Amino acid sequence: MDNVYSVYKCRVLRTYDLTDEEKLFLFRFEDSVIAEKWGFIPGQFIQLTLPGVGEVPISICSSPMRKGFFELCIKTAGRVTQKIHEMKPGDIAGVRGPYGNGFPVQKFEEKDLLLIGCGIGMAPLRSVFMYAVDNRWKFGNITVINSARTGNKLLFRKELEAMRDMAEAENIRIIQTVTRDPDWPGWVGRAQEHIRHANTNPKNSYVCVCGPPQVYHEIFEKLIEGGYNPRNIYVTLERRMKCGVGKCGHCIAGSSTFLKYICIDGPVFGYYDIISVSGLI
Amino acid sequence: MRYLKIGKDKTYEFLEKLKKYGKLYAPVKISDKFYARKEIEDVREIAFDYQRTLLPLKKYFLPTCEKMFDIDIEKNEYGENLEKIEPFVIFGAHACEIVGLRILDGVYLNVYPDIYYARRRKAGIIIGLSCLPDEHCFCNLRRTDFVDIGFDLFFHELPDGYLIRVGSQRGHEIVDENIDLFKSVEQKDIDAFREFEERRQKSFKYQGSFDNIRYILELTANDKLWDEESEKCLGCGNCTMTCPTCRCYDVQDIPRINLKSGERIRFWDSCQFRSHGLVAGGHNFRETKKDRFFNRYVCKNSYFYPLGTSYCVGCGNCTYFCPANIDFQKNLDKIRSNYEVIHG
Repeated sequence: MDNVYSVYKCRVLRTYDLTDEEKLFLFRFEDSVIAEKWGFIPGQFIQLTLPGVGEVPISICSSPMRKGFFELCIKTAGRVTQKIHEMKPGDIAGVRGPYGNGFPVQKFEEKDLLLIGCGIGMAPLRSVFMYAVDNRWKFGNITVINSARTGNKLLFRKELEAMRDMAEAENIRIIQTVTRDPDWPGWVGRAQEHIRHANTNPKNSYVCVCGPPQVYHEIFEKLIEGGYNPRNIYVTLERRMKCGVGKCGHCIAGSSTFLKYICIDGPVFGYYDIISVSGLI
Repeated sequence: MRYLKIGKDKTYEFLEKLKKYGKLYAPVKISDKFYARKEIEDVREIAFDYQRTLLPLKKYFLPTCEKMFDIDIEKNEYGENLEKIEPFVIFGAHACEIVGLRILDGVYLNVYPDIYYARRRKAGIIIGLSCLPDEHCFCNLRRTDFVDIGFDLFFHELPDGYLIRVGSQRGHEIVDENIDLFKSVEQKDIDAFREFEERRQKSFKYQGSFDNIRYILELTANDKLWDEESEKCLGCGNCTMTCPTCRCYDVQDIPRINLKSGERIRFWDSCQFRSHGLVAGGHNFRETKKDRFFNRYVCKNSYFYPLGTSYCVGCGNCTYFCPANIDFQKNLDKIRSNYEVIHG
């Protein structure tokens, strides 16, 4: 029997400051056999280990199309993530996973795709976005709404800006919006206020939302008001998973008729799951 | 199922024989009021009439604290802690605890089997023992008062010995290797077994069906009962530690003082602690004591679908060991009757 808690060694190849708190890390597997066979679905997460420091669950934020490599967007939020931020190219970390159900990207095919990321919530959605870009011919129109408090807190801001021309050619609309930044030259207002600016057809779209718990209800309201089918709305949730494999109980959520381990039953849930279970968000 | 009988006179002899299958653990009286499972030297110490032990059966399979890995920080290497697990025998597990263990099996041996748990589970022989309920037991409402699988042997008390059910291949082997200690079951034993079961059923404090409690709990989430009861709660986590099916754990890396090596350990955690629902950035999904208090009721009363029973097996441990005298069963019963009053 394999030990599900064993980690694979991964090498940091590049670190990049996205904001003053978030860094983007590019990893590759040390072992070529693992690199060949390892894959994931957008929306899945991994457990990242620093020996002697600890382990943290992090969403993968790159496209699954590039074998053997993956990117993580990590915010300094605690003891372990602070140490991770000190890592330099060439340093080794441990990785196990991927875990969770991920977004049902096969279902999204042939449909328009609306991605709404608030703050750090953009990280898992970038994986869906990059996957859609890499498989452009499988999807309809695509809109990404990336929101944050201020311009310098927008994750992947420069990357999305640099994609502007390509986006235009590919029927992709990128809306980067901020709520509290008088100096920001672009879109302003909260993410939900820009749903009407999306190039997606509400009747024929899938929607992925990720953000802090308090944003969801208003976004849902605006989506449904705008004609989006509740059945096609997905969110991805966060908990402090210790195991990632449905054991440690830290991600148990729900109520007595719907008790779920977010790490194996989620982290991606549908709109109807969210509204029928208190405590999920 | 295979049925056998053992006389009172031969029981101790059989228990002595069990030691050759591994370390023997059984309940012993450790103070005026309390029992605990301990390694048995003298089989005459075993308390056959115990109600509940300080810690539930899970401690043998999911130790309170265990080392998962030895870590070499310098080389970035992780050595699995897979020391040999010596076989052991647990005598005297009650039906509710055996169901509890099967629930743990469902969680710990799911699509991602936990190797540490699996190895212990494989090394352990489980011998059940019949019991009579006290005022805290409500396994009858949970339908866990009688167990069909999950044990190797199960001892049912008779006036002059025990009726034994054989529940596994290993159970058959143990019986066959000591066959001279056993007799076949006679009519009077069957009558006595039936009489015992009837007496047992009648002595449960609560009767009826409990299956609708899941919905009622959800519908009464805003009831003032939860404010009142959680106000009494000390947040000590005793209820989860003594629960046969509570299985949350936390993980920590402990570096040695030279910072060159260390170990990764895991230890029991409790949803009653504030840190349990905390995530990066400081958001807490169970911020208040009431959130945490209600969470346990919800979690325990939800269904574990593979078994078709709730996660709560009705053992009453959480009530018995609560230092604030919070009665789990009574609270559920109150919610049920309130519901009837409100909704006619």
